[in-house]
Amino acid sequence: MDKGEEILSRLSLGRSWEKRSDGWWLETRDMDLEKMAHVMIESKARLVTMTAHEDSNGEVRIIYHWDLEGRMLNTVAMTDKGSIPSIAMVYPASDWMEREIHEYFAVQFYGRESSPLYLNPGDSPGIFLGSAADRKKGKET
Amino acid sequence: MSFTIPIGPYHPALEEPFKLEVTCQGDIVQDAAMHVKVNFRGVEWLAQRRNYSQAIALVERVCGICSHLHTMTFCRAVEQLAGLSVPARAQYIRVIIAELERLTSHALWAGVAAEVIGFQTMFMTCFGLREDLMDILEIISGNRVHYAMNCIGGVNRDISNPEAVLEIVRSIRQKIEEKLIPIFTTDRTIRARCIGIGVLTKETAINWGVVGPTARASGLTTDIRRSAPYAAYDQLEFKVPVETSGDVFSRVVVRLLEMVESCRMIEQAFKQMEPGPIRGPEFVEVPPGETVARSEAPRGEAFYYVASDGSDVPMRVKIRTPTLVNMPVLKFMVLGANLADVPLINASIDPCYSCTSR
Repeated sequence: MDKGEEILSRLSLGRSWEKRSDGWWLETRDMDLEKMAHVMIESKARLVTMTAHEDSNGEVRIIYHWDLEGRMLNTVAMTDKGSIPSIAMVYPASDWMEREIHEYFAVQFYGRESSPLYLNPGDSPGIFLGSAADRKKGKET
Repeated sequence: MSFTIPIGPYHPALEEPFKLEVTCQGDIVQDAAMHVKVNFRGVEWLAQRRNYSQAIALVERVCGICSHLHTMTFCRAVEQLAGLSVPARAQYIRVIIAELERLTSHALWAGVAAEVIGFQTMFMTCFGLREDLMDILEIISGNRVHYAMNCIGGVNRDISNPEAVLEIVRSIRQKIEEKLIPIFTTDRTIRARCIGIGVLTKETAINWGVVGPTARASGLTTDIRRSAPYAAYDQLEFKVPVETSGDVFSRVVVRLLEMVESCRMIEQAFKQMEPGPIRGPEFVEVPPGETVARSEAPRGEAFYYVASDGSDVPMRVKIRTPTLVNMPVLKFMVLGANLADVPLINASIDPCYSCTSR
């Protein structure tokens, strides 16, 4: 079985990958993120980064970008009232990524035990929040 | 009794701001903590307020050393979203500039490392080599730092005098093979300062998702040019140098061997590329959607995520630079090291705070 399909079957989500030219994508609200991190590590996938952006309903959409032998696997999750489980205790590579997302979008990653949830102590969390509202100004100029 | 020494945010070896706090027992480092983003510039936020063409000039300023890499990766993401194909000649030109940029970056790094070691003549040799490389980039693009070569759908300029460029590249390759590699690998002072120092184990490199020469010096084979080829890399033969010791010396060796491979790739690219257009059809609009693009920067994999709502302004631009994933492991490299070796260990990952703060 293809390694990507094997990962999907281990996640037991009852969904399939959306296969695009830039990689495979999986969007779901019911993913156990800790389990996902374990499965990815065991499959030797590398966490490339995490992307966050505001959703229209005020939550933050978070994409976990994984590299599996050169192929991108993109798994998408959504915050619940601004919070989402941390995977930093499972996969240390996510530590700074979660901290950066907290700084930009004030997302609370719960379950972290080690480092503080910021990269620069001088910053206030959420510096990107609400930025969609004034984005069109750039277009007008 | 242990004591904590703050190093930075203005650093004795590197001119960019970050703060490293090392806790020492005598001269031996017991713990380390880092503060980055001291000079946060909000490039992603700004890119979401500029149209696609303006955003190219903006992302070029993410880094002064790998500026071409950033515009190329951003343009590739937009091209994917817009369904644009890039002419073959433009793909080769992108590779040539990217490899010249890698050479420039590695020459700069080798010079900085030599200076930190205290080898001033080697510092001058490396920076002399870098001048030659910047001369080539100036011949091609008119600029020594921000080359402005990429546009959506291709490149802005052709390379009109390939023989002149090739001649300098051959001479640079000779200097690397006859001077840099022998001196860096056999000089007793360099070996004494670098071998067994600042070790990053393969396991830690995997757990922290380390990329680029730092990862390849710890036994990982990751290189986006090989695992997920882009531009014209799938048309070129090249080796991916890998070392297994994980120390500063391994990182030196990997970068030096990569410089030779970059010269080889440039020579191959000139030989293989044929006359033809350097840009595709005029870029009109980007439909709604999202995509990702990656490239192998001198310091490792660079990642772009671009989302469009169909307007001429990107809805979201996410940039993950290699230093952002390489920096966290510094605290493991310095554990147990002599305080005097910390600046060199730090320099050995070739950190870019401009990229990190972006």
